[in-house]
Amino acid sequence: MEIAFRKVVPLPLAHLAFSEESIWQSDFIIKSTEKTLLNASSGKGKTTFTHLLAGLRKDFSGEVLINGTSLLSYSLNDWTDLRKDKISYVFQDLRLFGDLTVEENLKLKNDLTEHLKEEDIRDMLAQVGLEEKWKTKVDLLSMGQQQRIAILRALCQPFEILIMDEPFSHLDEENAKLCLNLIIEHSERQKAGFLITSLGSHHDIDYQNYLNL
Amino acid sequence: MLKKILFQFQDRSQLIVAFFGALIGFCFLMLAMHYMVRVGDFGKANEIIGSNTLIIQKAVSNKSTLGIGKSDFSDGEILHLESLPFIEKVAPIVNNSFGVSLQTDSEAVPYFRSDVFVQAVATEFLDVPLENWGWKNGDTFVPIILPREFLVMLNTFASAKGIPQVSDDLAKSIDFKFTIYNSAKKEWHKVRILGFTAELSSILVPTSFMEYANENFPTAIPSKTTQLMVQVKDGQFGIFENYLQENGMESKKSSMIIGKLKSIATILFAVIIGISLIILLLAALVIVQYGQLILANNKENIHKLLLIGYAPKKIQGVINGYFFSLFSIILIASILSFSLIKFFVDRLLLEGGIQLSTNWTYQSFVVVLLAYLLLYLLFVKKVAVRSLVKYN
Repeated sequence: MEIAFRKVVPLPLAHLAFSEESIWQSDFIIKSTEKTLLNASSGKGKTTFTHLLAGLRKDFSGEVLINGTSLLSYSLNDWTDLRKDKISYVFQDLRLFGDLTVEENLKLKNDLTEHLKEEDIRDMLAQVGLEEKWKTKVDLLSMGQQQRIAILRALCQPFEILIMDEPFSHLDEENAKLCLNLIIEHSERQKAGFLITSLGSHHDIDYQNYLNL
Repeated sequence: MLKKILFQFQDRSQLIVAFFGALIGFCFLMLAMHYMVRVGDFGKANEIIGSNTLIIQKAVSNKSTLGIGKSDFSDGEILHLESLPFIEKVAPIVNNSFGVSLQTDSEAVPYFRSDVFVQAVATEFLDVPLENWGWKNGDTFVPIILPREFLVMLNTFASAKGIPQVSDDLAKSIDFKFTIYNSAKKEWHKVRILGFTAELSSILVPTSFMEYANENFPTAIPSKTTQLMVQVKDGQFGIFENYLQENGMESKKSSMIIGKLKSIATILFAVIIGISLIILLLAALVIVQYGQLILANNKENIHKLLLIGYAPKKIQGVINGYFFSLFSIILIASILSFSLIKFFVDRLLLEGGIQLSTNWTYQSFVVVLLAYLLLYLLFVKKVAVRSLVKYN
């Protein structure tokens, strides 16, 4: 999968001037086989960028092409197909179902494609130190725990690219490392790539692609 | 899981009110339709003369007795009656001008003979199979319809002779014959009793037989039309009765009362059907509103579901499935309630001596299934598709 940006500028940022290094108003390609890092300080448009890739925003000039097709021409059903087994997301605000348990949140995603077995999901949960939270309502978890559940949920589906918006912002180094290992393991198994937005940390990964705002 | 997300945390009080509203609507709709059909059928099973049909004649007065007033109907009067808005159709009842007597024609039953009076009416007024109701010269039997009073008279005769009385069916198997005659000649015809009627006091014969006998056995007395058979439009018996009174005509009182009661009952049941439909519509609106409330309360959840890859169709399917089950439960509950109420009403009617058929009517099920389908389609149209799509 290739996601091509052609001089894209989100309308709320249209009045700003952008540097040559900025992704806005530039031409570049994100390949699904690569590991990409988008590094920027707070308020520069990282979430706008990920929302644009999730089909949540259409207020921009320029063009975004997914495999050569304009993102604006995608119908709701097209997006549903993409979100089901091509692009997986970890949103900054997580978007978990607080009234459901950890088990239910993870199975809700996994049930769509039957990507993993229950024991695999439980193994992943154990790897990030949350095996005892299987039956706990998500609302009762800390932000850091919820963030790990959101990452695990994103791994409960097949994907070509995993897009994560500040996925480790509430995690300590150790837990971030544990999650990252899982992400790399799942990506490599599927020959997929990922894109992480970050406030500055590289998390000790060799990225093939660096983007700036 | 989707069901849990969408429905588990909802206040169901509104839904419970709508549930009972729809249940009452469905149940009354079935009851009203059922009893409207049954009242319409009332008396049909035992009566050979078609429904809504009355025999009218001119009221007998001193004038007609003295021969000053006319007791027969002219062609003009018949045409005028036909043109009245509350009358479906009119046909003259043809009388015999020939001599005729009826006698038993079997050694198995005691000899019985009586001079009788025969009449003929258009076949369309009779509820008899057409293939049985006809006659042509040379046929073995003349089919006849006997006045019920005749059977009573026959049984009185049987009783006086000390022989067993006969039922309707047994009477039909007894061989009878007609002797038709005038001063010059006579002829015998075997007859077969096809049925009985309480509406007429004379024996009904096919028109072809009447024409044959009137033509071949003429007498000095001309055949006059003194009675008419009139089919009144549904629910118009009151107007018709007033018309008869104002124009010096009369009909059998009991038939008129039954006709009027049937008209009133039909109107009442039609009103109940109307009220049931209004109740159903109101219940449907509450359910639709509840569905829209579910969507509004779940706006955020639906948005999240779409973001993790759930298709709108799948979410819609869960919502539709939930309400489909709800409507089905209401439907089943209303059919059960209908059956229960019908059982008690039928028993009450029977105890009151009203012989309404207790069989089910397909119309009550058709109408409730139609209402159920319309309710579900209204829900699907008003709640699901459009509302979901706008949340991405």
